[in-house]
Formats: sequence, structure tokens, C-alpha cells
Amino acid sequence: MPLKFLKQVSDYAKETVQAARYIGQGLSVTFDHMRRRPITVQYPYEKLIPSERFRGRIHFEFDKCISCEVCVRVCPINLPVVDWEFDKASKKKKLNHYSIDFGVCIFCGNCVEFCPTNCLSMTEEYDLSTYDRHELNFDNVALGRLPYKVTEDPMVTPLRELVYLPKGVMEPHGLPTDARRAGMLPEEIAQQEANKK
Amino acid sequence: MNLAEGVQIVSFGILAVMMIGTALGVVLLPNIVYSAFLLGGVFISIAGMYLLLNADFVAAAQVLIYIGAVNVLILFAIMLVNKREDFAPLRNAWVRPVFTGLVSVGLFALLGTMVLVTPWALSTQVSAGDSAIFLIGQHFFTDFLLPFELASILLLMAMVGAIILARREFLPDQVMSPTKQQPILTLPERPRELVSVSSDKSSNLDDGRRG
Amino acid sequence: MNPGIDLQGTFIETLMDLGLPAGVAKAIWMPLPMGLMLIGATMGVLVTTWLERKISAAAQQRIGPDFMGPFGLLAPVADGLKLVFKEDVVPAKSDRILFTLGPIIVVIPIFLSYLIVPFGQNLVITDVGTGIFLWISLSSIAPIGLLMAGYASNNKYALLGGLRAAAQSISYEIPLALSVLAVVMMSNSLSTIDIVEQQSGYGILGWNIWRQPAGFVIFWIAALAECERMPFDLPEAEEELVAGYQTEYSGMKFGLFYLSSYVNLVLSALLFAVLYLGGWDFPIPLNLLANLVGVSDDSSWLQVVDASLGIIMTVFKAYFLVFLAILLRWTVPRVRIDQLLDLGWKFLLPVGLANLLLTAALKLTFPVAFGG
Repeated sequence: MPLKFLKQVSDYAKETVQAARYIGQGLSVTFDHMRRRPITVQYPYEKLIPSERFRGRIHFEFDKCISCEVCVRVCPINLPVVDWEFDKASKKKKLNHYSIDFGVCIFCGNCVEFCPTNCLSMTEEYDLSTYDRHELNFDNVALGRLPYKVTEDPMVTPLRELVYLPKGVMEPHGLPTDARRAGMLPEEIAQQEANKK
Repeated sequence: MNLAEGVQIVSFGILAVMMIGTALGVVLLPNIVYSAFLLGGVFISIAGMYLLLNADFVAAAQVLIYIGAVNVLILFAIMLVNKREDFAPLRNAWVRPVFTGLVSVGLFALLGTMVLVTPWALSTQVSAGDSAIFLIGQHFFTDFLLPFELASILLLMAMVGAIILARREFLPDQVMSPTKQQPILTLPERPRELVSVSSDKSSNLDDGRRG
Repeated sequence: MNPGIDLQGTFIETLMDLGLPAGVAKAIWMPLPMGLMLIGATMGVLVTTWLERKISAAAQQRIGPDFMGPFGLLAPVADGLKLVFKEDVVPAKSDRILFTLGPIIVVIPIFLSYLIVPFGQNLVITDVGTGIFLWISLSSIAPIGLLMAGYASNNKYALLGGLRAAAQSISYEIPLALSVLAVVMMSNSLSTIDIVEQQSGYGILGWNIWRQPAGFVIFWIAALAECERMPFDLPEAEEELVAGYQTEYSGMKFGLFYLSSYVNLVLSALLFAVLYLGGWDFPIPLNLLANLVGVSDDSSWLQVVDASLGIIMTVFKAYFLVFLAILLRWTVPRVRIDQLLDLGWKFLLPVGLANLLLTAALKLTFPVAFGG
């Protein structure tokens, strides 16, 4: 009986020590985080440069469109609204209006991918906040506007991120604009392949 | 009259008024929660009186025990059972307060005359002040040892009783057969096992520590 | 040890030299340290809230307040101003008097406890004989205010939060008192000044933390629970109780609760520094340094350095502990209420008792090291 009791006490003590060690480990992890680089982007003053394949708000060129409605068919929710009528004189479809509601769009990029005349394209614009969700329903005029590029905006410090940073660099602040990113650029790879042949 | 005396008299007046006012409130207010909170006021004023009498340890103990423990427990009890209930009006209900008032006034008169009549032997000693703690300790472990220990045993008994009440677990699914007599002095409860000894089963402590 | 600077004596003497009677001089002196301490405590809270934000941000790889003043130093001021100017809503059907009284009762005892916090040999408002016991008894008043706030809000979350806060406060008072008692036993006095005096002389080696390792842990856990700091912030557990007893509060009444929780944290850290980390003592005994350099113990500038260093050391130690509390906040997840009470009653209480008994035994066996 006393042995059993002693075992209980020692188990209890062991568990206590174990728990204390776990808490100590946790504390050291938290402490370690303190010396890490803050990942904050001071948003309206600093902006991350979107990557090349960034799928932002869709740009639409009215004149290129042939009203084929491929974009509607490939869209998961048949979102683009293509308003056309048949022009009997030229025997062609005449586009009247075109609109996409970005409050509903999931930015999958299917329409851009399948557009036969390349009149749809992706932009870098991602800050689509409005006071009324209906303002997100862009008509062909709004769709035709090009967003301000982050790198050209004098009010904004553009920040590079992840793979666009030079090798071994994690801090995007104060980086010279011509600093080379890690690895080879796509055109360099293409050049290399061409040279091989 | 110097500054210290003036402060003493003023604070005595404030404390006395506060004590009587809150005590009357405890008795007279119909809302029991107000009564409980006002009881805290009574205790505080008593602590203030002790402070005026240069007994700061007793004052601190008064605050710790009576406000920190007793009053909070009273409040707990009230808030855990506080059910607004409309009582059926009693006939001749006015008799009770009148009778209570009479008894209270009688008691007050009795105690008042006792206070006035008794020839108090006022101690001329200088109050102990900061060394009071040592004196209290000495008294506790010499001439007041028996009352001190008895008080602690009383508290222990109360604690054991509270634990037994709290540990009781009624088993509503088991039908109590009237033939099988419960042994006297035991409460119907599920037999508890001791904390399991096997190491794979983590005990309560571990849960608590890890959160 | 020389007594150091006696500001009170010098101040009163100066006034009496100007022709004032002694009583008036004393009466002029008396509110000075109290007002100073009040301002100091409030400033301490502002600094603590700023630190809390900055350290929390650092622990989460953020920046924290940045644009309000240099390094966001004005963020707590903005907070305070916002709370002052916010509408003070008293919910309908709540108990108006108790609703107002609740936060006041919570705040006052905590500020009163600053009476006994010493920053130096003579840099304390009053060296009352009951010292640390006064703090323990004053901190037991707060649950009344919490219950009052919870009850008066006429809101079930508030009531539950108040009850939880009171239960937690009562449960952790006991281990706290036990760990303090062990220290008191070693220094033979309840006075905070004596407790620090007893630790001084050997620099960092003389601090109570080496003699009371268990008591130090118990005290810190219990103090965090008393302050309702993160792993134990059940009374305002937002997932379960919205904001506990603060749910219905807004404006300056909420500000008082906010203030009291931070004042309490700073107070606990200060007293922790006093009890276990040698209060105003420099880690290396200052006399030793002075002798090394060859400065006499009595030279006035050494005393000035001693006094200012004492204040800096106390505050520094306290803020180190605040830092630890913030770090713990982001490390340890919140415990459940049953785990909290289990930890308090089934772990801290027996360990605290064992620690007390062990201290008593050691004191009898080695009276030299354990203050016989």
C-alpha cells in the first residue's frame, strides 16, 4: 500500500515536470518568434507586387469581342452577360453590352483561357471593395479600364515577395529595383533550351 | 486639537454613520442582494474602526475573512439560488415586523444600559501597533492555544462536511429498494475509485497544466 | 547599510525652515507621494498596454501600433481618450446604482495596494507593519465588485462571468497567500521593506527566488489567475461568455475594468519583484561596486545613484515579469473552468502547503540561510 502511494506521488511529480517542460518548450517557441521578421505590409502605403499569373479583375476589350458566348459556356456559373443582336446589314453579331459581376466571379480564369479573340485578360487589380455589392457588376466600360500598376504608383512602395526576392533575401524593404530574383527567368530557360538544340 | 486628532474624529464620525446606515439597510431593504452588498459595507466600516484603534492587522484580517470570504460566499449563495418569487400575502403580516422591532429595541436598550452601567476598566497601555502581529502570534500559541485549535477543528469539520456534500452523487437510475436499508450515516453515492495508478492514463493534473 | 535618502524628512525640514508649523508641513507632504504613485501607476498601465500590443505583435510577426506617435507610443493615450469620450450606456432594466458601483469597487482596492510597494529604502508611501498582508486582504475585495457588476448588468453572461471571476479569485487567493507566507516566514516580517532588506547584501545570489523556487512558481501562476491574465482569463472567455462581467459595460466604466486589470498586473509584477527578485536591489551589491571604485558609502551622489537605480531596478524587474506574462499569453491556451479549479485546489494548494512546511523545516535547520 505505501508503495502504491509512493508510485502515485512520483507519477504525479513526473507528470508535473513533464507539463512544465512542455510549457517551457512552448515559451521558447513564442520567444523565438519575437526575433523573426514581421510580415506586415503597410497596405495603402506599401503593396505586394502581384505575380505574373495573378488572377485579378478581368479586363475586356469591347472591339475585339465577337459575341461568341464561349466565356459564358465555360464559366462555372454562366456569369458573363453578353447582350448582342444580329446586324442584318453586315450579317454579323453586334455586341451591345457586356458585363461581369465580380461580386459573384470566382476568378477561375476559364473565360480568359477560352476566349478565341483574346479580348478577355487578367489584370493585377485585387482591391475591389465597394459600399454596395451591385457596384461590383462591371459593365463593358468599367471592364475596359486598366488598373494602376503598383510599381508605377508614386504613392505606393512596391514590395516583392517569395520567389521574386533575390536568393537568400527575405526582407523586401529597401531592395534595389534591379535586384535579380532567384533562379533563371523564363526567357532565359527558353534561351538555354534553344542553345542546346 | 492637532491634525491627527481631527482626522480621527472625522473618520470616526463617517465610519459610525456608515456602519449604522449600512446595517439598517441590511435589515430593512426588501432586496436580499442589496442587503448582502450592504453587509460588505458594514464589514468595511468595522475594519475602519479597527484601523482607528491602531489594530491594523485585525483590520486587514477583517477585510480578508469577512469581505473576501464570508460576504462573497453569501453573495454566491444568493446568486446561485436567487429566484424571483411572489409570495402569497399572509394575514396579519404586520405583526412580524412590529414584534421583531420590539425585540430589537428591547435588546438595544438592554445592551445600551449594560454598556453605560458597566464600569469599564480602560487599559492605559499604549496600543501595540506594529508589534501586534507578534503579540497575537504569541497569544495564539500560549494562552489561547485551545480556542485557536478548537476553531481550526471546527473549520476542518465544516470543510469535511462540505466535501462530503459536494462529492455526493445521486444515482437516479438505481431504484432504492425500501427493503434494503441504507446503512446509517452514509449518503447514497457511487463508490469512487482512487486515482488510477497506471501511467498511460493521464490524471487531472496533467490536463490542468497543459490546458 | 546606510538608510539612503530620506525625502520626507528633508522636505518637511525645508518647509519648517520656511516658517511653517510641523503639522502643516506634514499635511503638505502627505498627498505628494500618493499623487505621485497614482500618476505612476496610471503611467505604468499605459506603458503596459503599449508593451502588450508591441510584444503580442512581435510574437505574431506583426508590427503593432506604428503610426500613433513614435513606435505607436500614443496608442494607449488614444485608447484612453476614446474610452473617456465614448457614450456611457447603462442597459435598461439593469441595476443603475450597483452597475456604477461595481467597477469602482474593483478599481479602488487595487490602487490602495500601491501603498505598500517600495521603490527604495524610504521610497514607499507607508511602511505599514501589515505590509504584504494588506495587499492580500485588499485584493480579496475585488470579487465583490465583480459580482456586483455581473449581477447589476441583468445579463446571464455577465452574471456567469462575475461568478466565475469571484470563484477564481477566491480559489487562487489561497495558494497566493501560502506562497507569500513562506517568504514572510523567512524574513520575519510582513513589511515589504523588511522583505527586501532581508534579500539584500549578496546581490543576485541573495534573492528569494533561489530559496523559494516552488513558491515563486506558485506565486506567479496564482498572480496571473488573480489578474485574469491569458491562460486563466475565463471570466471573460469570449467564446463562451461574450465578455463575462464586462459584457454590458462601455465608456469609462469599461475603462475602469480595463484599467484595473492592467494596474493589477503591474502591481502583481511589482510585488513579485519585491518578494522574489530582491525589490530595488541591483544584481551586484552596490556597496561592493562603490568600494571597488573607491567611493565612500556616505557620499551624497552615491545615494542619489542608489535611489534612482533602485527605482529603475524595481520597474525593470516588474516589466520583465509583465513581458513574461505577455509571452505566456501567446503560449498557453486558455484552460477550462474545471481545469482551472483543479489546478488551484488540487495542485497549487497542496504544493503551497508543502512548500510552507518545507520552508519552516529549513528555517529551523539552517537558520543562517533561511532567516532564523
